[in-house]
Amino acid sequence: MTSTLKGITLKGSAELVAEFFSFGINSILYQRGIYPPETFSRVTHYDMSLQLSTDPKLKNYLTNVVSQLKEWLFECTVQKLVLVITCLETNEVLERWQFDIECDKSAKENSTPREKSIKTIQDEIRSVIRQITATVTFLPLLETPCAFDLLVYTDKDLAVPEKWEESGPQIIDQSEEVRLRSFTTSIHKVNSMVAYKRTDSV
Amino acid sequence: MAEGGDVEWELSKENIQPLRRGRAISALHQALSQQQDGVSSAINQQRQAFESEVRMYEGDDPLDVWDRYIKWTEQTFPQGGKESNLGTLLERVVTRFTDEKKYHNDPRYVDLWIKFAENCPEPLDIYRYMQAQGIGVTQASLYIAWSEEYENQGNCRKADLVYQEGFKKCAEPHDKLQQFHKALQARVSRQVMMNVEEDDSDNEPKQPERVSLADLKHRGKKKAIAPVNRTGHAIRSISGGLLSHGPSVLGNASNSRLVIFDENKTESAGPSEPKLESWVAPPTSKAKENEQRPERWCDVKLPQKSKYGRTVMAPPPPKPTFQPFVEETDQPPTMTPCKINPAVNTVLSSRKPCREETPLKRLQEHHQQQKEAESGKLQEQSMYCKELLLSGATEFCFEEVRAERYFKKMAQESKEVRGQKDEASASTSN
Repeated sequence: MTSTLKGITLKGSAELVAEFFSFGINSILYQRGIYPPETFSRVTHYDMSLQLSTDPKLKNYLTNVVSQLKEWLFECTVQKLVLVITCLETNEVLERWQFDIECDKSAKENSTPREKSIKTIQDEIRSVIRQITATVTFLPLLETPCAFDLLVYTDKDLAVPEKWEESGPQIIDQSEEVRLRSFTTSIHKVNSMVAYKRTDSV
Repeated sequence: MAEGGDVEWELSKENIQPLRRGRAISALHQALSQQQDGVSSAINQQRQAFESEVRMYEGDDPLDVWDRYIKWTEQTFPQGGKESNLGTLLERVVTRFTDEKKYHNDPRYVDLWIKFAENCPEPLDIYRYMQAQGIGVTQASLYIAWSEEYENQGNCRKADLVYQEGFKKCAEPHDKLQQFHKALQARVSRQVMMNVEEDDSDNEPKQPERVSLADLKHRGKKKAIAPVNRTGHAIRSISGGLLSHGPSVLGNASNSRLVIFDENKTESAGPSEPKLESWVAPPTSKAKENEQRPERWCDVKLPQKSKYGRTVMAPPPPKPTFQPFVEETDQPPTMTPCKINPAVNTVLSSRKPCREETPLKRLQEHHQQQKEAESGKLQEQSMYCKELLLSGATEFCFEEVRAERYFKKMAQESKEVRGQKDEASASTSN
């Protein structure tokens, strides 16, 4: 069927977005040095080389999160995904990567595929990841060992799955916020943003 | 912020120097948008304001102005470079307060010193100088920066020793120092572990280094393309030089610098190839410690090592025993014709560097001068406010200083007048 190649369905969109998060989170962890660089291996995806973690525990955790996320994306109940980087010793939040997800809930009833080719979507995703890489130009150096956490904002009435727990927003006070590019699959729209501690100068 | 505005920083990401403390995105946007038309007047005005503030400051914390000035410079000139004047500024501030004991362990001052050191070709010398002068000896940041420099140069033992020194001096904040020390230990032990794993299989050198001028092996059939990997096995044997056509003998000495004297081999190669010499491998990049000082080479004779291990001096060119025949008519021209009168034309030659100028040397000189001034040995004495004219990054002229004073006076006067008026109006209304 040629029509499925051209258009995009809710299921396909959820998969694409989840895949973006998997690569995006890996690149942030690599770029910000949360895990040692030798635990990453290079893969080519979206026509660019990306770093994927080889740490079994981390991989396991990320697969869990992403598969759960895919479910929520499919149900259109997820609003935000936030990657929080905290100082290991003081638990202070140093960086906050926020991805706002706008779901077009009408796609749930109306299952006709939308007109947008995968290639254009992937092009958009690529430029988001490129921008994530480029943020090192203004982000402060993370001088201390850091840990990361993933927060997912969902619709209120959602039952909390067994492996998840409620958490605070972990917002940085006195932060500088930079909006990054966004991409859309025409069903899910993802806006990215990074917040970091404001420098005390100027 | 609009999405269109974000593109600016991404387009010039290569021209933005990362800062340890990060950048304020608004300052970055401003700097980048003004970049096209050179240093804008707004920036110049701000700079001028800082320059005059540096001179006219009368409070009890002059370092504060400098600190703000330098931070502003860092943020305003994301690509660094000459027009930012950062190097000069750092040097000025650092020399300016060397004698102010109250700043010696001020974290701001120590940070400025560290920035200055990182700007210098030899940061380690600066750190040693700081220690000798007692600047920042109780600040953890000094030891952290110092140790990181050693670590970058691959000297992990010294890097650790620096931390020990810091602990001995009870540098503050203590937990920060401890934290960085632990991180260093973790890095070193991880490195050692990885090296051990590698070394188990074969006795390769621990860190395969790219040897300069090394030939590269061809890979596969593509002869023209050099392999990207320029370390380890990809480097062809370089110990041989001319001998490389006899790889059966030297084949496995891929990285050794020694050529072992082989009696049998020399016999075969002996008289037919008298020029056969063993070329010592080029020094690896680590050889910086033994760097040779520049010196006169004109009367130095290079001892030449022959293949046989003896030292042979090059024989002096023999004097001809015969008189070369010169035809009588063939008189050589006494001088090459010269169109330009040499007396008129000034001859230029490139200026020879009289001595090496490093920021550290200038610092020491400055220190020396000040000592001399104290003991009254100084020969020169400037009878004008030299300090005021030269204390900033750029030079002020007398008029500028005078104008600055004038404006200040005016401002004060107008304030007083206004105060009087207020008083007057208050009294009339009563």
